[in-house]
Amino acid sequence: MATHIEPIPILSSTQRHSAAEALDLPHEPAKSLYIHVPFCFHKCHYCDFYSFVDSQDRQEAFVASLQRELAALAPHADAASGLNTVFIGGGTPSLLRPDLWRCLLATLDDHFKLDAIRRGEGEFTVECNPETVSPELMTILAGGAVNRVSVGAQSFNLVHLKTLERWHEPRNVQRALQLAADAGIERRSVDLIYAIPGQTLADVATDLDTALALDPGVEHVSAYCLTYEPNTAMTKRVERGDFTPIDEDLCAEMQTLVNETLNRAGFDRYEVSNFAKRISNGSGSAQSQHNLAYWRNDSWLAAGPSASGHVVTRDETTGIPAGARWKNVPRLSDWMDGVNATAASPVIDLELPDPRRTFTERLMMGIRLAEGLPASDLLKQAEALNSAPKLQAAAQRLQGQGHLQIEVDRWRLTEQGFLFADGVASELMDAVRLDAS
Amino acid sequence: MQIRNFSIIAHIDHGKSTLADRLLQSTSAVSEREARQQFLDDMDLERERGITIKASSVTVRHMHNGEEFMLNFIDTPGHVDFAYEVSRALTACEGAILVVDSTQGVEAQTVANAYLAANNDLDMIPVVNKIDLPGARPDEIAMEVEQALGLPAEDCIYCSAKTGQGIDELLSAICDKLPPPREAVTDKTRALIFDSHYDDYRGVVVYIRMFDGKLKVGDKIRMMGVGRTFQVTELGKYTPKPTKVKTLGPGETGYVIASIKTLKDVRVGDTITLDIDPAAEPLPGYEEPHQMVFCDFYPASGGDSKGSNIEELREAIEKLSLNDASFTYFAVHSEALGFGFRCGFLGLLHMDIIQERLEREGGVEIIQTAPTVTYELVTTEGKTIEIHNPADLPDPSIWKELREPIVRLDIIVPVEFIGDIMTLCGDRRGVYKSQTVISEDRQILIYELPLGEIIYDFYDKLKSMTRGYGTMDYEIVGFRTDRLAKVDILINGQPVEALSFISHRDTAEKRGRHLLTRLKKEISRHQFEIPLQAAIGGKVIARETIKSMGKNVTAKCYGGDVSRKRKLLDKQKAGKKRMKSIGSVEVPQEAFMAVLDQGE
Repeated sequence: MATHIEPIPILSSTQRHSAAEALDLPHEPAKSLYIHVPFCFHKCHYCDFYSFVDSQDRQEAFVASLQRELAALAPHADAASGLNTVFIGGGTPSLLRPDLWRCLLATLDDHFKLDAIRRGEGEFTVECNPETVSPELMTILAGGAVNRVSVGAQSFNLVHLKTLERWHEPRNVQRALQLAADAGIERRSVDLIYAIPGQTLADVATDLDTALALDPGVEHVSAYCLTYEPNTAMTKRVERGDFTPIDEDLCAEMQTLVNETLNRAGFDRYEVSNFAKRISNGSGSAQSQHNLAYWRNDSWLAAGPSASGHVVTRDETTGIPAGARWKNVPRLSDWMDGVNATAASPVIDLELPDPRRTFTERLMMGIRLAEGLPASDLLKQAEALNSAPKLQAAAQRLQGQGHLQIEVDRWRLTEQGFLFADGVASELMDAVRLDAS
Repeated sequence: MQIRNFSIIAHIDHGKSTLADRLLQSTSAVSEREARQQFLDDMDLERERGITIKASSVTVRHMHNGEEFMLNFIDTPGHVDFAYEVSRALTACEGAILVVDSTQGVEAQTVANAYLAANNDLDMIPVVNKIDLPGARPDEIAMEVEQALGLPAEDCIYCSAKTGQGIDELLSAICDKLPPPREAVTDKTRALIFDSHYDDYRGVVVYIRMFDGKLKVGDKIRMMGVGRTFQVTELGKYTPKPTKVKTLGPGETGYVIASIKTLKDVRVGDTITLDIDPAAEPLPGYEEPHQMVFCDFYPASGGDSKGSNIEELREAIEKLSLNDASFTYFAVHSEALGFGFRCGFLGLLHMDIIQERLEREGGVEIIQTAPTVTYELVTTEGKTIEIHNPADLPDPSIWKELREPIVRLDIIVPVEFIGDIMTLCGDRRGVYKSQTVISEDRQILIYELPLGEIIYDFYDKLKSMTRGYGTMDYEIVGFRTDRLAKVDILINGQPVEALSFISHRDTAEKRGRHLLTRLKKEISRHQFEIPLQAAIGGKVIARETIKSMGKNVTAKCYGGDVSRKRKLLDKQKAGKKRMKSIGSVEVPQEAFMAVLDQGE
């Protein structure tokens, strides 16, 4: 049975559910680690990631707690091969003071094996805000095994940046990439956002051209259609009537334009919103290996407030994987109190292993990838859940609708299917529901 | 002792129930303490809506000029839909008090009810009520009564049911001016059943008016029409508290309890006689009520929440039908909405009231489909079939003639709005009949038009066009053929019976287009394009297209989004379960209500 625990206000952190409840299960050793740095100088309206504007004095306390949490997480990582990927996101990780960065990177090195990353086979990404990077920071990062940066460009148009409440100078994106390149960080990615209210197809084309003309260049582009997440200021502003979201059909046209433009420039879409350059970079691919761990439903560890983790166990009855998920409490003080007391973060959400749920998550996440889902393995698992015929039927239905391409051992989205990935996921997921009839 | 049997008739809200209460009080039948407002209305709903739905009869004693009078008065519903109940109550009387509001004047139902009374040969006492109100114009209104109804203005009694002013004068008039009951014409017992209701403890309570002979407790009675016999266990009168009596004689009204278990054994209009010494002929009865408006009730399946199921709905309908024999129901199954009941009503208000009572008293949640009227189809073989649902229409190849019900519509409006109302009636295929002046500023317009044209929104239109001053009443005058057609609605190429309707060919296209526009709003975009069509016999007369969905994909979906995203997708799917799938199109239940809104 899946256990979903609603957040309950409890005064003592020791009474809360803790990440340890998931981690203490016998699980596959994790090869990925996500660290959340919650500091921002401004909360962006479109963002529902947990982050806040904070004064410098809490940064030290944050890093001290993070060190405790990382030490406790270390035994759950793969002891033999070490970590394959690390991703530090936020918030604005580049806001963290350089001396604290040094501490944090040293702690990682102390507790985790980063050999694969150092050899260039693994990946260590830090999210950077174009405005807050410095040569000093880049040097520190490069020295601490960081081999990839992801720069939040969003748009190169000041008007649209303003709508997003992003206050950086567009030219600083170039500067940030240059600083990374100078420090020897060879893997670089930019984030773009399209379908910003007021944006035209031509504006999107211009942003894409600008991103592709960056020098030093990028090997990876994440291009997100702007979405209105509940409880964000951006959504409130739409509700207030400050502006009108871009019409659904135009969004679809923009998405197609993004795909075609990047394709022509030598970038392949390997996930709904992610594009990797078709060149070898030593490890053989420009795809984000860390994010692939999410989409492939692997195990990963999580540190920092509001970070989410996932460890895969094996279900005894069916013999198929069953994952445990958790999400750390978002409030910095709650998280620190909890970690300082027990070394494990209190959680606001905890789902204990359930093979059927894990299977639906695998469908939902995996279908987003261009590589698709491994059909025979999938059907074998579906068989264990007594859902194989229904799943097969759903896939065939989706193929009939032109959304899914069924190959010998792969189910993947068609070009059109990429526009309807949620509908496809929901059809497939529905086929394996316990009560599906 | 002298007997007077009378009814009070009035347009809605002209103060009929208040007047009844005041009369009861003045004859000391009801103490001040008991005098709740509207004593005779015993359903919550009646009290709340301020209208009387079920007729009741009350007997009081009154001293007039040193002589004792037994006053039996029979309350009647005021609304047009209940003309049937009014007329059967009137059959039990010799006189009627016609109440007119002194601030409003003669209204459509005043006229309609006065006609009913005249047709039943009743003597009428016109009463101009609410004279205590600041806007009262009793003299003008008395002139209206004379103009519109031919009752002399000087006969009008001015009163205020609220303050009691004029009530004594009215009581005197009842005793002096209304005729006594006719003499018995035979010594055999004959009593007319004018109403009945079901009591949980005593079974059916039958309201009767004695015409000939006597009834006493212990008598074995026979229902002359139904043919069943029962033993009388109780006789009584409402004074207004139920008061037992041993016998009921000619001219009296009262109730009979005879261990009757179901209302089906009692037909209003039937004659009761004695089993051992039956009368040769029954009293003239009434026509069976004719249901003219039909709609379907389905249980509202409220998803995971507390929806109602078909059994709960059936129970509520059966219980309600015990007390209202004038609505009919039978089980139906709709492709789109599942199992439900097709119900027939006397009119639109009747329908609203039944729905409300089912929801309130039966505790069920209901989905109601668009109302439709009864059509008559004459087939090529010469057979006449009643059609209560467009979906029941056979193939047009065997149609000879499709007929629709026609009503005579009386509309009373201030003269300034006459042009607008004539346009409205013209748009609804109305045929002008006549026009009568009631007063300097108001007239009666009489039109004949199809019932189907007024059942949706005609009344609302009339009210809004006349700023609330217009009133109307109608009466079915027959069936007439016209260029009628069944309009089919196709969603994604598939005909949906629940959405089809019958329309005049000239307006079919407009109505079809309007319905499609509504459907387009209700049905969300799918991953494919959905054609919506309205067609008559395979020929498309209107079309709309629901564009295919542009996209449906979450832009950002990373490790922290999994749980939330999964729940969202699950919820989406659960939402779809509550919809009806027609040709792989998910149609929400609201779409089936779209037919209700005709638009203009």
